[in-house]
Amino acid sequence: MNTHTPPFQPVSQDDVAWLGTDPIPASPYYDPAYFELERKAVFLRSWIQVGHVCELPDPGSFIRREIEFANASILIVRGKDGAIRAFHNVCTHRGTQLVMAEAGRQSTFSCPYHMWTFATDGALVSAPDFDQFHVAKKDCALPAVAVGVCAGLIFLSFAERPEPLRDWLGDLADRLEALPVARATTFSEYVYEIDANWKLTYDNFQENYHLRFIHPRSGGAATGPDNPFGYPVHYGFHGPHRTQTIWSNRAAPPPPAPALLSYGKAAEAAAAHGIMVSQDAKDYFALFPNFFLLGSPLQHFSHVVMPISATRSRGVIRLYWIGEDDSASERFAREYLMATARDIHSEDRGVIERGQRGLSSGALQHIHLQTQEILCRHLFRSVDAAVEAYKAEMASGAEARA
Amino acid sequence: MSALLPPGFATLEPFAMRWAGETAADRAHLRAAYPDAERDAFHAACAPRLEAGLAHLDETPLAALDEAQQRLMRLLLTFAHVSLAVEVQGPDEAQHAPLRASMRITRTPADR
Repeated sequence: MNTHTPPFQPVSQDDVAWLGTDPIPASPYYDPAYFELERKAVFLRSWIQVGHVCELPDPGSFIRREIEFANASILIVRGKDGAIRAFHNVCTHRGTQLVMAEAGRQSTFSCPYHMWTFATDGALVSAPDFDQFHVAKKDCALPAVAVGVCAGLIFLSFAERPEPLRDWLGDLADRLEALPVARATTFSEYVYEIDANWKLTYDNFQENYHLRFIHPRSGGAATGPDNPFGYPVHYGFHGPHRTQTIWSNRAAPPPPAPALLSYGKAAEAAAAHGIMVSQDAKDYFALFPNFFLLGSPLQHFSHVVMPISATRSRGVIRLYWIGEDDSASERFAREYLMATARDIHSEDRGVIERGQRGLSSGALQHIHLQTQEILCRHLFRSVDAAVEAYKAEMASGAEARA
Repeated sequence: MSALLPPGFATLEPFAMRWAGETAADRAHLRAAYPDAERDAFHAACAPRLEAGLAHLDETPLAALDEAQQRLMRLLLTFAHVSLAVEVQGPDEAQHAPLRASMRITRTPADR
């Protein structure tokens, strides 16, 4: 059968005109004062992805996450009742950090300092010589943090009254639930630190303009003669979140033999798990503010860019899998698919730091985004709207107090 | 000297000590740990044996692999990384290696 593929048509400026065309101010990409506003207006008020339910398989399973933007250490625990809860990793006696292990399984959490002991639901269950205190045990539970789960992904919110996670995700919630990540039982992970602003880092992964220059060898079928920059076929805007539907060059030369073998094995596994036919297999989800997930069932990866300071961030990339390695071939495929993704992300990291050095010099008043960098524009506008709303809120609060 | 790998993989024996990385992070490191000529020799020996090696190992559950088979598994997993150097990066591999150094592999199902 000789099917005719129509030539690639990029998304037109008309479709995204509502997001404007003005240059973007440069200082939000390096200014510590703007970062401080973002921390309060965006990160402390948004649902932030921090883990996956497969990390908490049993009652008492826990993970510890250091959340720099909140200056907090957080303990995420599956309780005896099966519910997932999150707490500040802080003994309510005098503030000592309870748990130093990154992950584990315990039926209780005891502070090493004076042996106050907490249950998996955060309640204080025992404390030596407690009669000497002037407080009730029920008032000494670990301070809770809001936690939500969608598609197996664990999110935290530090907001005072966070809206329900599914409301926050809007129409993307159901689409996420249909993806393999919702059924993942394990993952491969690699992590990087980067001397770059979180938005500058994140933006690299939501524009394809750079692909042919930065990934000339690893880019594979991402570009082609009728789409030399590998632009997406569609952009979607969902409140502060966004999606792109990825284009691929069907006429690209076949990849090397180990790649064919790995993709073949991954496709076999995906078919066996019933996840091969996915409506969103070509979609790349960008959840506000700092989370990505690629819908592909073969290389199903998430990428979180955690802000550390105005010019420092940490990226965490995970390839999610269903089931442990069931054979040598599957083990090989997973190692290869992780290594190919890591190669590409390594190339990105280098050039992002180079961009930060230029921006941090203060030489530029503005940066320029073209039509096919519209997702970067959308992120900036979403962040800046939150920052402006926060500033207005602070100003009206100050007025009310005056 | 007794064989380090299962029967039938004699051409890979010279590489068995050096290239069978224990963890995924070790294997990613091995990709750039030795001179190009040594890496290329490993690649040339392993590429034609990859499918046969996986077919042999696939006959046994992973948890039941004997020591020689486990070593062959790790050797083939290192090949996954080395093949990217030779087959994808090619002449750019030397400048690519330092970019990867900051990308720390922290977990894989194979390591657990």
